[in-house]
Amino acid sequence: MLTASSIAQIMVSGLLTGLIYALVAVGLSLIFGLMNVVNFAHGEFLMLAMYATFGLALGLALDPLVAVPIVMAALFVFGAAVYLGIVSYAMRARVNSGMVQIFSTFGLAILLRGLAQYFLTPNYRSIAHSWLGSRTFALGPIYVPAPQLVGALISIAAFFALWLLITRTDFGKAIEATREDADAVALVGISKNRVFALGWGLGAMLVGLAGAILASFYYIYPNVGGPFALIAYVTVALGGFGSVFGALAAGVIVGLVEALTAVILPSDLKEVGVYAVYLAVVLFRPRGLFGSI
Amino acid sequence: MNVTRRNVLLGSAAVMATMATRVRAAQPKDVAIGVLYPFSGPSAQVGVDAKFASETALDIINNRHDLDLPLAKSAGLPGLGGAKVRLVYADHQGDPQKGRAEAERLITQEKVCALIGTYYSSVAVTVSQTAERYGLPYMSADNSSPSLQRQGLKFFFRAAAHDEMFSKGMFDFYDWMRKKGTKIDTLALFHEDTIFGTDSSNAQLKFASERGYKVVADIKYHANSPSLTAEVTQLKAANADVLMPSSYTTDGILLVKTMAELGYKPKAIVAQAAGFSDKALFDAVGPQIQGLITRGSFSLDLAAKRPSVGAVNALFKARAGKDLNDNTSRELMALIILADAIDRAKSTDGEAIRKALVATDIPGTRTIMPWKRVKFDAQGQNEDADPVLLQYVKDKLVTIFPPQAAIAAPIWPMGA
Repeated sequence: MLTASSIAQIMVSGLLTGLIYALVAVGLSLIFGLMNVVNFAHGEFLMLAMYATFGLALGLALDPLVAVPIVMAALFVFGAAVYLGIVSYAMRARVNSGMVQIFSTFGLAILLRGLAQYFLTPNYRSIAHSWLGSRTFALGPIYVPAPQLVGALISIAAFFALWLLITRTDFGKAIEATREDADAVALVGISKNRVFALGWGLGAMLVGLAGAILASFYYIYPNVGGPFALIAYVTVALGGFGSVFGALAAGVIVGLVEALTAVILPSDLKEVGVYAVYLAVVLFRPRGLFGSI
Repeated sequence: MNVTRRNVLLGSAAVMATMATRVRAAQPKDVAIGVLYPFSGPSAQVGVDAKFASETALDIINNRHDLDLPLAKSAGLPGLGGAKVRLVYADHQGDPQKGRAEAERLITQEKVCALIGTYYSSVAVTVSQTAERYGLPYMSADNSSPSLQRQGLKFFFRAAAHDEMFSKGMFDFYDWMRKKGTKIDTLALFHEDTIFGTDSSNAQLKFASERGYKVVADIKYHANSPSLTAEVTQLKAANADVLMPSSYTTDGILLVKTMAELGYKPKAIVAQAAGFSDKALFDAVGPQIQGLITRGSFSLDLAAKRPSVGAVNALFKARAGKDLNDNTSRELMALIILADAIDRAKSTDGEAIRKALVATDIPGTRTIMPWKRVKFDAQGQNEDADPVLLQYVKDKLVTIFPPQAAIAAPIWPMGA
């Protein structure tokens, strides 16, 4: 059977994975909290960020860590553009506006996947040489791969920075205000449209950060966003739509539960543990652990 | 009527018109075959390669080539007056329900006379049942699940081996190594959870218990998981003599990467091909799996003994930019065998093609595979499709078993 050190290894890996899940999920949570729109193309944003990191590594020989700020900036612009170009129009629909919003981002997801497959081929890519790439730290009997460790640390730093942004800056206050009452903020001089666009940019930028980190140790192909997006939706729902801390907490919970379930049950059922926890939370607390809606 | 110039012109035009239609009717209609592979989704690259393989086979069938393969030396199908074969492609996306829907569409709307595919054994189940319902043959090109021929279908045919034959090959290899003094006692199975992985591991469990090997870990995992650390930690804890994965490409890549991250170096890996015969996997993680062994249907080093293998590989490489591998060779060969049966049936009627397939008897030397021959048994399975074991040495796959096909001795353990 499994020794204590094996279980410790699984828990450490689950924790690191969970922090990265949290980073993937927080952008989604932010966008939903801000304007009640679920971004069904979230996984594809992740995929684009990974391809961008790969492209920079291949074309300019940039290490993924160095490419992070560039990819984040690019995704910020892309996210804002998606809002301005697609979602803002979808939100103007008078009839069935909920469905229109869903289908607009869902259609975008399919389009992005198709374009990626057409132009970039479905072949699997990896970044062969990166500074963190194949390093592993051995803490006693536990192996901690460097990319996952750095990714987890960056994730914690990003959450801290995001918390500072939301609570300490004017922009953060504008986001909170717009979230509370999007139509009233015009009265205090906040442009709702501008906040939404910047909110989308911020959400996309966060998932771009996650993508740049993942690209250093995960394989890249057009459908790579799928499994991560699914986990992101569960994480956001578990943590509470719109709650940044909820995304962090839920991400860690999902990562740990998934890893431990793989040991207790046959590992093809490891998702069952995650969904069981989610069901339990939703039954007793429908808005999620830290949700405010 | 008056023989005016006008009447002569009208009359001759009418005669020419009827003659023209008669000439067109005498030209043979083309023969449509439905080709189902995953052209999108996680295995899209497999579909892209399968298309190249199918087009290469089509070139061999429809044009004259000086090769000792069925239908190579003629242009088109001589039994149907030189009719050309036309391929109609459909994307099943790895989803059995989509596979069923696409098969129905190919049969009822595109009017194909036979189906071929599908890479995923899970999709082959629904596609073969659809073909059976409409009474036309399904040729399994590259599915390896041993349940497929046991569905009791009359219209199911498979030229290549299935996972019980492949697994038997693996255990024959272990017995052979044991006789030479190598210690192989414990095995770890690592398999995905669709019909491919499940049947593969069942076959391996059966052989392990029959031949006295202990299975110390049997890990069934969910395909396309973002993380396999929990699974690999269990494998590492079990520390078997041989790790036996049955995985598709994405999981294979993640498995190898995770093993490297967690510092787990198994003594030997003997894979059930699929992802482990995909060039994409070796491009991604090749350096970490030098010495990996996989079962296969095909070995490129056969080209040294049989010139047609090298020639066909050159035709394929010109289209695909890479060599034939385990999957593409089977896809190519199966299409040629199917077309050969349609040719011998001299008809596009499903039952006639089925009878011709049942009567197939092609010697292995007339194929590009190391098979003894192609002859389908009562369940539609070719029991003479001998598998080989290949080892990844210095970035090449080298045949190491059975001894009569091997060109190198196995390197064991893999890190040696």
